[in-house]
Amino acid sequence: MITTSNLSKKYNDNLVLNIESLEIPKGQSFGLVGNNGAGKTTYFSLLLDLIQPTTGQIINNDVLVNESEDWKPFTSSFIDESFLIGYLTPEEYFYFVGELRNQNKADVDALLSQFEDFFHGEILNQKKYLRDLSKGNQKKAGIVAALIGNPEVIILDEPFANLDPTTQIRLKQIIKDLAETKGVTVLISSHDLMHVTDVCERIVVLEKGEIIKDLATSKETLKELEAHFAG
Amino acid sequence: MVKRFLSLEWKQFSRASYFQKGIAIKILLFFAAAYFSAIAIFFGIGIFFILKKAMPNTDPMVMVNNFLIYWLLFDLVIRFFMQQLPVMNIKPLMTIPIKRETVIHYLLGKTAISFFNFLPLFIFLPFTIVLLVQGYPVVNVLCWFVSVMTLTFCNNFINFLINKNNAYFYSIVSVLAIFIGLEVYQIFKISEPIGVAFNTLFNQPYLVLIPMLLLVALYRINFNDIKKGFYLDGAISKKVETVSTSDLSWLDRFGSIAVFLKNDLRLIWRNARPKQVLMMSFLFLFYGLIFYTQEAYQKMPAFLAFASMFVTGGFLMTFGQLVPSWDSEYYKLLMSQNIPYRKYLESKWYLMVVAVTISFVLSTPYLYFGWKIFGMIAAGALFNIGLNSFITLFGGALNRVPIELNVKAKAFSNTNGFNPTQMLIALPKLGLPMLLFYIPYKLVNFEVGIMVLALSGVLGIVFKNFFLSKIENLYQKGKYKTVAAFAEKN
Repeated sequence: MITTSNLSKKYNDNLVLNIESLEIPKGQSFGLVGNNGAGKTTYFSLLLDLIQPTTGQIINNDVLVNESEDWKPFTSSFIDESFLIGYLTPEEYFYFVGELRNQNKADVDALLSQFEDFFHGEILNQKKYLRDLSKGNQKKAGIVAALIGNPEVIILDEPFANLDPTTQIRLKQIIKDLAETKGVTVLISSHDLMHVTDVCERIVVLEKGEIIKDLATSKETLKELEAHFAG
Repeated sequence: MVKRFLSLEWKQFSRASYFQKGIAIKILLFFAAAYFSAIAIFFGIGIFFILKKAMPNTDPMVMVNNFLIYWLLFDLVIRFFMQQLPVMNIKPLMTIPIKRETVIHYLLGKTAISFFNFLPLFIFLPFTIVLLVQGYPVVNVLCWFVSVMTLTFCNNFINFLINKNNAYFYSIVSVLAIFIGLEVYQIFKISEPIGVAFNTLFNQPYLVLIPMLLLVALYRINFNDIKKGFYLDGAISKKVETVSTSDLSWLDRFGSIAVFLKNDLRLIWRNARPKQVLMMSFLFLFYGLIFYTQEAYQKMPAFLAFASMFVTGGFLMTFGQLVPSWDSEYYKLLMSQNIPYRKYLESKWYLMVVAVTISFVLSTPYLYFGWKIFGMIAAGALFNIGLNSFITLFGGALNRVPIELNVKAKAFSNTNGFNPTQMLIALPKLGLPMLLFYIPYKLVNFEVGIMVLALSGVLGIVFKNFFLSKIENLYQKGKYKTVAAFAEKN
């Protein structure tokens, strides 16, 4: 589904990302871990064509990402708060994203109704603008908005950060379902090794922009990761 | 402690990214400030002699005192709309051992260092010097000067109160409304006793104590008001507004761009900065009054064409020139969502067309000045729709300064969304209608001038797709730069 080849990103002389090749098949739940500055967000930004690659390319479902816009209809993402429109209420925001992805109000409502648990009564009908919601609630709204319109690729940067424990557990279930039952390719990054090993079938460790581990998740994965980052 | 606060503020100011670039802007702002200061100084020097010449029988000092209240009101209104009040980042200060009082004193003291408090100085200081030279009693003049400056600071703190506290806002506005109403309908002229009061203030120098006491009282009220609210959800941190939702589904008839139009309306309605711009653009409607009423301009129809374009072009120019910047806070979303760039630009174009149309309808009272003038306004509107809109969008592609939506623009300290390229782009916007009208006017006659101006707009509409494609390419090319620049603030 997503093929990365010879991809690198340099800021001045500082090489922040250098991936020779990375293949993510359709329907995989893919986890990216690494310390701060490892290049996780840089990679996601390149996937979304928000920054220009210094060399190489990403092909998303046969579309060359930095040359065509055709990946947009089947790719959705939530990277940070700049993906929210602060002056809208959550409902307005969902309908806005829905309209962009050719979903009418009823479609969006049907989708939202599946996430009532996840919202925990703190998102819908609150009569608040998104900019006035707490960080955690903003994140919930952003993540759910990324699920609107049956995307085939979903990119979430640090989805577990700022969420309360209940929501973290619910989010894990949602992500698993997406990959397993709906065949959606889910890419997430996280600092929380436990969450990533719970959710992802495959985990890639980035360090200073390079891939240094590529693991299929098993019982030992968490231990291996912990050992790696401890030492 | 205050020293440390000041050093924090200085770091915040000097390390902000916008400070580190754009020297051109700073020079420009400096010139603007110098220009206004110079005007103020000349006004301060000249007003005495102007009044003396206009009304030789009255003491100019009395006249100034009679009109002082209007100045103070004007000052207050301008402050209300323009002066940015400090929203100090109090969060990190709340948990460290600093007395609350110190922070509040500092916060209030900071408001004193505002351009709005210095502007009157530029007017009243020269005026005071003129008075002294003219041989008015020294003590009276100096005390009067101190009174006026004290009242200016009173305005400063009244503004603080009405900005932070709705109760004060509504009570002061209603008191003002009542007195202005009484004044206009000539039931009771409050300005007369106030004029007498100011004259008494001048004649009895010791009365300078009254404004001073007023200032102290206002300071205390402010102090207590802030102290009460010195919590994160209180007065100095941001307010949480109540939501005003309205059904905008009637916009759906605009088809695929409706979704953007709805968003833009909400953008304008729910954020301080675009609201301010909307108000400004409303004032442009009255621009024609300056030109059409002056005999001198009747012989310079090129200027009339210029003014006519301004009448309907206010929103287009004030809002339009910042087009991608309005969406800077969530530009990454727009860039990664399923949005064709074309649709985005087209929706902005329609928004401007709608705005010009509304302005045109509102400008019908200009019929009073005759069909010729109104014809010019109509031609100007067509020019705005057909050409000016594209020039404005084109200029937007070069504009990469992020805007904080829910923050009022500050006078002379805000460079948000303003850069030298904008100035260059403004030239064709202003010059083109003049040329398009003036050349055929000189060669043939007035009517042909209007027709050519109107026709240029029609041609623009005919070639809309061509222009939009060109502009779209430009936006696409600058995409990465724009994303990076807009991300800087966040």
